[in-house]
Amino acid sequence: MSIPVGHYQYDPIDRDFLQARIAEFEGQVQRRLDGTLSEDEFKPLRLMNGLYLQLHAYMLRVAIPYGILDSRQLRKLGEIARRYDRDYGHFTTRQNIQFNWIRLEDTPAILRELAEVDMHAIQTSGNCIRNVTADEYAGAAADELVDPRVHAEILRQWSTLHPEFTFLPRKFKIAISGSPNDRVAARFHDIGILARPGADGAPVFRIFVGGGLGRTPIIGEELFDSVREEHLLATLEAILRVYNARGRRDNIYKARIKILVQAIGVEAYREAVEAELAQMDLERYRLTPEAVAAIRSRFAVPQLEAPADADAVLAQQRRDDPLFDRWVRSNTHVHRDPGHIIATVSLKPAGGIPGDATSAQIARLADLADAYSFGEIRITHLQNVVLGHVRKDRLRDLWLGLSEVGLAEANIGLIGDIVACPGLDYCALANARSIPIAQKLGARFADTALQAEIGALRINISGCINACGHHHAGHIGLLGVDKRGEEFFQLTVGGRAENGAAIGTILGAALPEDETVDAIARLVDCYLGRRESGETFLDTLTRLGHEPFREAAYETV
Amino acid sequence: MKRPVRLEPGQKLVLTANRLLDGRTVWWCADGTWNLHIGCAALLDADEAEALLSRASEQAQRDGVVGVYDTAVQAVVPPEPVTVREKIRAHGPTVHPEFAVETEQ
Amino acid sequence: MKLFELGERTAQVHDVLVTLAELAERDDARAVLLESADDPALLKPYLNRLDLVVLRFPGFRDGRGFTQARELREYLRFSGEIRAEGHILPDQAAFLRRCGVDSVVLPKDGNGDPALWEKQLRQFPVAYQRSVLPERSVGPGLRVEEVS
Repeated sequence: MSIPVGHYQYDPIDRDFLQARIAEFEGQVQRRLDGTLSEDEFKPLRLMNGLYLQLHAYMLRVAIPYGILDSRQLRKLGEIARRYDRDYGHFTTRQNIQFNWIRLEDTPAILRELAEVDMHAIQTSGNCIRNVTADEYAGAAADELVDPRVHAEILRQWSTLHPEFTFLPRKFKIAISGSPNDRVAARFHDIGILARPGADGAPVFRIFVGGGLGRTPIIGEELFDSVREEHLLATLEAILRVYNARGRRDNIYKARIKILVQAIGVEAYREAVEAELAQMDLERYRLTPEAVAAIRSRFAVPQLEAPADADAVLAQQRRDDPLFDRWVRSNTHVHRDPGHIIATVSLKPAGGIPGDATSAQIARLADLADAYSFGEIRITHLQNVVLGHVRKDRLRDLWLGLSEVGLAEANIGLIGDIVACPGLDYCALANARSIPIAQKLGARFADTALQAEIGALRINISGCINACGHHHAGHIGLLGVDKRGEEFFQLTVGGRAENGAAIGTILGAALPEDETVDAIARLVDCYLGRRESGETFLDTLTRLGHEPFREAAYETV
Repeated sequence: MKRPVRLEPGQKLVLTANRLLDGRTVWWCADGTWNLHIGCAALLDADEAEALLSRASEQAQRDGVVGVYDTAVQAVVPPEPVTVREKIRAHGPTVHPEFAVETEQ
Repeated sequence: MKLFELGERTAQVHDVLVTLAELAERDDARAVLLESADDPALLKPYLNRLDLVVLRFPGFRDGRGFTQARELREYLRFSGEIRAEGHILPDQAAFLRRCGVDSVVLPKDGNGDPALWEKQLRQFPVAYQRSVLPERSVGPGLRVEEVS
């Protein structure tokens, strides 16, 4: 079997480990069924294996470490959707996939099928270190300084069934990027890591702590500017150890590391981490160049060869076909190789469910990845799919193939590229439905020419304060709230997750569900009417302040 | 602690839970069984609901259900939950009409 | 009280078990009970005379005991017995052992079946990170197994 491009290739030791984890989970299910484990005991154990009990059924969240999978794995996900679910899967903002109609009794069999392709659901939920996310353009983008995937894999391995950090005060999310352009929302994570090249060739890491969304949105603060590779794991151990010992456990809403960092201050947190490091046997925790090299060797690198005229062919095709040209403009990104390009496949069809894909679409994506991108697929934290290494002269063929299965929407980064959590249609925690609002907004702005005219504008929708739809980070954010059993939406503007991270400002009182779409349309009209040449929505908002937008949102006709 | 139940005129309580084996939403029926259809649910007054709720919770493991609680419904045929959340639990996700509980095979 | 040994060390019986606060006044105490909020560093003056530190888990989801055990082993070089008691699950057996815990007080319910604890200790052939136990690498990368 050839090594897949893009992610770590398992060996028999890794596969034995997965089998052991499945056997463990199967035993836990048995003990739950026979009553040895109470629901209160079973729940945290099943969550640590990605299994939630939602409104209508169990939901299984499958890990896609750093968002990368190969076509064989993607096909398996499609098969699981068809066989054990209702023929679709939902890609999440943590680069994972979840299935909404799972039976507890089927779960061990599903896990066995996943293990056939080296996949699992380990730590996709629970109060432990969650799936590590990374830049969706890792290893492909022209602007990248360090490919973060090898270290993302190291963190995945290190955090897997960590003996000390599996029963933390609360969930713990780590993201890593190697680009100066933050595409991982590093400062909205419990730990955000930005890698850059060091003097000796090994990368150094800038580490942020205590960021997060949820009930108390906070932008992470820099803990260390330059952690050397050999001390990466020791530093993370020390950060986690301080949090595990001192993080609050009396109130679930105050249990994240961000609350501890805010309570004692980042300087005190840094001192505490340094005190741990001073006592630790650093040799024991040292990340050796040999270990890094061994893990790096399990990644295959794509052989990028393109004809000399690839760029010219693409340019001509764009001139010949305005529809294709529009898609290229919104849905591609510059590749480090001049003959290649990064293509983003939108899972946001107008009026559709953000992040959902049918088993047929999933299978087709796997075929297209094989044909056009070395069999490699990436899931983005904005719930889309990236084919990372497409030859420029073949891009149009890919686009035509995507069109056949309704996946050629030209709206990446535009108003139709809406991020939404599953909301009250599925989620036991939600207060309001997220998907119907997303569908209505998508339909309202369905015209791709209009979307291009509006330009960069990100809408994020969360169905409750837990903020899985990252509404705080949306240029326009919607938060669903429950008022006496009815759905209302609170609007925020000015959030952003990219460089210059900011938390959106609440515009005013929450609006009834049926007035929300009109209010957003008025926000957009306000921007279009008052923008100056070249301004994005955020630029105009920054220049004018919130007041005109507040007035527009609450204007009653 | 149990929250006080305030029922408006024309409202009753029903008991609901999820099935342990497959997670599906179920409603408690007068014959002591749990059913996928809210149309089968027993309509209860506040005081009888309290006793039945505590008994159903004790028997949850034996009955193969998880997380038993009560919720208000309009006492029509079939009973219709008061909150959006329970309406969605009763009928299925609003974004997939083809998955409606009522028309499932 | 039924004890289960996670490793080679034989669990000890103790006459007097005192709290951290009582330790200073009880010269005879050889065993101390740490609550999950207690800082193990406060045991420093007493380590030489302590044979046993008992970590109490108020609930199995409260993972502070894992860090307490590691601090005792790694920072304070405590070489006596560490025991876990309270609400703990067999599913945590290997985690406890890898953090330096030697023995557990078996829960009185179905979670106290020694066979479950035994099975869980042997569940995973390798681990992906170092622990306080003597370990050697397994293949390339981060994986280790215990040196027996």
